[in-house]
Amino acid sequence: MRSKLCLLSFAAICLFFSIATDAQSYAITNARIVTVSGATIEKGTVVVRNGLIDAVGANLKAPADAQVFDATGLTVYPGFIDSLTNLGTPAPQAGGQGGGGGGGGGGFAAQIAAQQQQQQLQQQSITNYPLGLRPERDVLDEVRATEATFETARNAGFTTVVTTGRGGIFNGQSVVINLAGDNVSSMVVKAPFAQHFTFTTVGGGVYPASLLGTFSALRQMLLDAQRLQDMQRAYAADPKGMPRPPVDRSLEALIPVVARQIPIVFNANNENEIVRVLDLIKELNIRGIIAGGQEAWKVAGRLKEQNVPVLLSLNFPKRTAAASPDADPDSLETLNLRAETPRGAARLAQAGVKFGFQSGGMTSLADFFTNAAKTTENGLTKDAAIRAMTLGAAEVLGIDNRTGSIEPGKIANLTLVRGDLLARDKFVPQVVIDGKVFEIREPVRPAGGRGNQGGTPGPGAPGAGAAPPADVPNIAGSYAITIEIPGQPTGATLTFVQQGNTFTGQLVSSSFGTSPIRDGKVAADGFSFTTVVELGGQTIQVTATGRVTGNAISGTMDSTAGSAGFSGTKNPN
Amino acid sequence: MKKITAYLVLFLLSVASLPVSSMGQGQSRNSVLIKGGTVMTASRGTLEATDILVQNGKIARIGKGLTAPAGARTIDATGKFVTPGIIDCHSHAMVSSINEGSYSVTSMVRIRDMLDPSDMTIYRALAGGVTGANLLHGSANSIGGQNSVVKFKWGRSAEEMVVADAPPGIKFAMGENVRRTTQSALPGVPLRYPRTRQGTIEVIRDAFLRARDYKQSWDDFRAKKTRVQPRKDLELEPIVEIIEGKRLVHAHGYRSDEHLNLLRLAEEFGFKIGTLQHALEAYKIAPEIAKHGAGVSIFADSWGYKLEAYDSIPYNGYILWKNGVNVSINSDSGERIRRLNLDAAKMMKYGGVPEEDSLKMITLNPAIQLGIGKRTGSLEVGKDADIVVWTGHPFSAFSRVETTMIEGETYFDRAADAEGRANMAREREALEKIDANRPPGSGGTPPRVPAERREERGHDEIIDTDGGTHR
Repeated sequence: MRSKLCLLSFAAICLFFSIATDAQSYAITNARIVTVSGATIEKGTVVVRNGLIDAVGANLKAPADAQVFDATGLTVYPGFIDSLTNLGTPAPQAGGQGGGGGGGGGGFAAQIAAQQQQQQLQQQSITNYPLGLRPERDVLDEVRATEATFETARNAGFTTVVTTGRGGIFNGQSVVINLAGDNVSSMVVKAPFAQHFTFTTVGGGVYPASLLGTFSALRQMLLDAQRLQDMQRAYAADPKGMPRPPVDRSLEALIPVVARQIPIVFNANNENEIVRVLDLIKELNIRGIIAGGQEAWKVAGRLKEQNVPVLLSLNFPKRTAAASPDADPDSLETLNLRAETPRGAARLAQAGVKFGFQSGGMTSLADFFTNAAKTTENGLTKDAAIRAMTLGAAEVLGIDNRTGSIEPGKIANLTLVRGDLLARDKFVPQVVIDGKVFEIREPVRPAGGRGNQGGTPGPGAPGAGAAPPADVPNIAGSYAITIEIPGQPTGATLTFVQQGNTFTGQLVSSSFGTSPIRDGKVAADGFSFTTVVELGGQTIQVTATGRVTGNAISGTMDSTAGSAGFSGTKNPN
Repeated sequence: MKKITAYLVLFLLSVASLPVSSMGQGQSRNSVLIKGGTVMTASRGTLEATDILVQNGKIARIGKGLTAPAGARTIDATGKFVTPGIIDCHSHAMVSSINEGSYSVTSMVRIRDMLDPSDMTIYRALAGGVTGANLLHGSANSIGGQNSVVKFKWGRSAEEMVVADAPPGIKFAMGENVRRTTQSALPGVPLRYPRTRQGTIEVIRDAFLRARDYKQSWDDFRAKKTRVQPRKDLELEPIVEIIEGKRLVHAHGYRSDEHLNLLRLAEEFGFKIGTLQHALEAYKIAPEIAKHGAGVSIFADSWGYKLEAYDSIPYNGYILWKNGVNVSINSDSGERIRRLNLDAAKMMKYGGVPEEDSLKMITLNPAIQLGIGKRTGSLEVGKDADIVVWTGHPFSAFSRVETTMIEGETYFDRAADAEGRANMAREREALEKIDANRPPGSGGTPPRVPAERREERGHDEIIDTDGGTHR
């Protein structure tokens, strides 16, 4: 079944041009070019040579040795930057890296285990600080070049990301990487970019065991780092009569912070957290950046005054379906937050605060562009929105001299887009990273129209659209099913809107609301789809497989919460 | 067009529903005349049918038949009572993290870092006539964190709420919470020293000895007796400040033997304790406390509410007062903070503390204990206009607060509050129509109206998420 599906989707791939990856130079012609740093060129050429942008212009002749690719109908942007991710870094181990607040939740046995592990690890490291409070942690040691997540981000249109570690108060020194390369070292655009700091605790009852302590621990560490540097210098000049300065990797890692050479990125979303960070940055005289920044607009004046940029999350808060009638209703504060968050970017721009967009841990990167579009519907200019994912982000990351715009001499990071970037019908056919071209498969869309991403059935009766190929069964229609959740069989309605060998539709249940169907595929031996259900405030990814025989439907739904069978019958039209 | 209209409506609503506090801001900062009330000054007796003129945030005049300057706002207080704003000498309101329970000495942590100016407790306290508070670290440690003295300027930033010229303070604690009798010993989890009352005073003594050495090392360095600059130690710096008389100690405890021990330790190291907190047995050592010069901040009741409070009696406050001790009554609770006026009334009931001295226990006395008695705590010309207008006598259970002002600005007003509620209902209705507030996919049911829910900070001690106790 899998091979057949692959074959079918392969046939649907739209190839605009294919480039021999060893080409020394090539020219992309007849493209609309959004340079970001200068005026947009309505019809022009970008020449790429040896991984760098060689030339760009409206009336540019492709060099004789360059392969020429006609990009009529496409827009070329500087490669998009996601200014904060954990891409390529491993998930935190349970009990390790000091993640999570207070070490609670796992029970006392887990707490003890975590404590013992921490003691063990502490003995192995040249530091006086507990795990989670170790700024020497370097994400470069953790990134793996072969991560599948890099491809996912490329397919969404990104060429470059900041990646930092997960867990801990100090999350690890981050790096800016290009999303392709033979190995990690060839991917690095800038390392380190920054220290990353989360207001949490180390757990296991170890200091700091509260946010109070976390603030004080940072203060003392920075003081001690400064002192260590002073002692090292004095000792190097004349060691006689002086105690030997201790070796401490944690404090040494903070010396560049004290010297204002690298910033600390503080994860802070609400106004109160951001104000606390701004106070701390001022007090400690360090370079700071806010990450998240949901309510940053509320203190835009202070951000501007202190010259603190924001890595603004586009993972906007939204209402999830109510889990049960007894669930707590939304507070006025929450309702307000959802309404105001998309307006934040425009307000930051108006106040002159520097910001770059980040994905903020969103489950689907498609939301990045959808929500960037929402910022433009709420007052941000389109140019400013594009800047926040290209040159603006590069400025915050300190890489604007090498990437972020389409200028000769800069890294050949480009994203080619068909359609309007900030509209729902945009498609990224290629990204170019260090001059290397990556083709992206176009998702097959229902005939109902490209805007139909919400998964709700389009106009017309279910099953409208082109007839499926002969070997693909017609499963369009609505089915009353029972999901055999252990101890709690749940009724639901499945609706399939089929288009050839793919389908959209929805899964509706009184228990968990309405969930759009994604990645629906059908072949002779059955169908598969994924969906996301909201249960008890949790988002659960469900993968379903099954088959339709006559009027009967049956199959299995798998999720992290477990596996459940389902069966039912087709509703009469 | 429809969308634009909707946003316009929303904008207007959001302006209309700004915190009630903002109403007073700007317009009345210059002059307010409170006319014809029964003015309980808390320092110079009760004045019938008297006016108070507020100018530039200060009390400008107190007298009969005052005329309002042009543009002044007038509050008619005829038949009503006017008192100084209440000050709570022991509160954890607007503090996001209360206990650093890891070490037994955590003098390096600062409540100032954890202030949350959006805590609804502030607004509720204002509705009970409270204008200021001593925000303290919890009682999980022998020496806890540094305090913050604030005025409850609801709607303002934390920075604006902090009373900048209040002397700094710090929390000490002794007794059950410190020796952690409420935390059971578990296999593999190390027990934190101290586990006994004698251990607690030893930990405190040790901290002072270390601080004395630390101060010496800096003195030597400054006198060029040593070459290497000592490490700046954020734990010991505040303890040096205590020794130097620059930082007030607010010492939680119940048993008089422990408090007496602490007074002696302070005398040995040459400083004075600011306040003994809770101190439900303080009546046993009232002369010693008076001689030392410490203040005492008590509960008006809570007699015998836990084992170490077993010897408490209703007349504690009266006996301390009789011995000339500065007594204040605190809430230590987001709920009781709203009715400290009734706690003051209990002082009249048990032993018969005079009316003005009872009122002082929630106004001027805590102000003096916190070192801000010169600027607030009583209704006197030249002091901050921290003023409460009550519908009746503040010691009556039937009286309500009508207006609470801080430095001449109104932060609670009963009529404006009623209006605000209607605005909030309209705001909710408008917000619920926005896409982001509707469930995904369905366009279906709007969110429901919330039921009133508020976690109660109970009277008994609580193990909070920081792993310590704060009561």
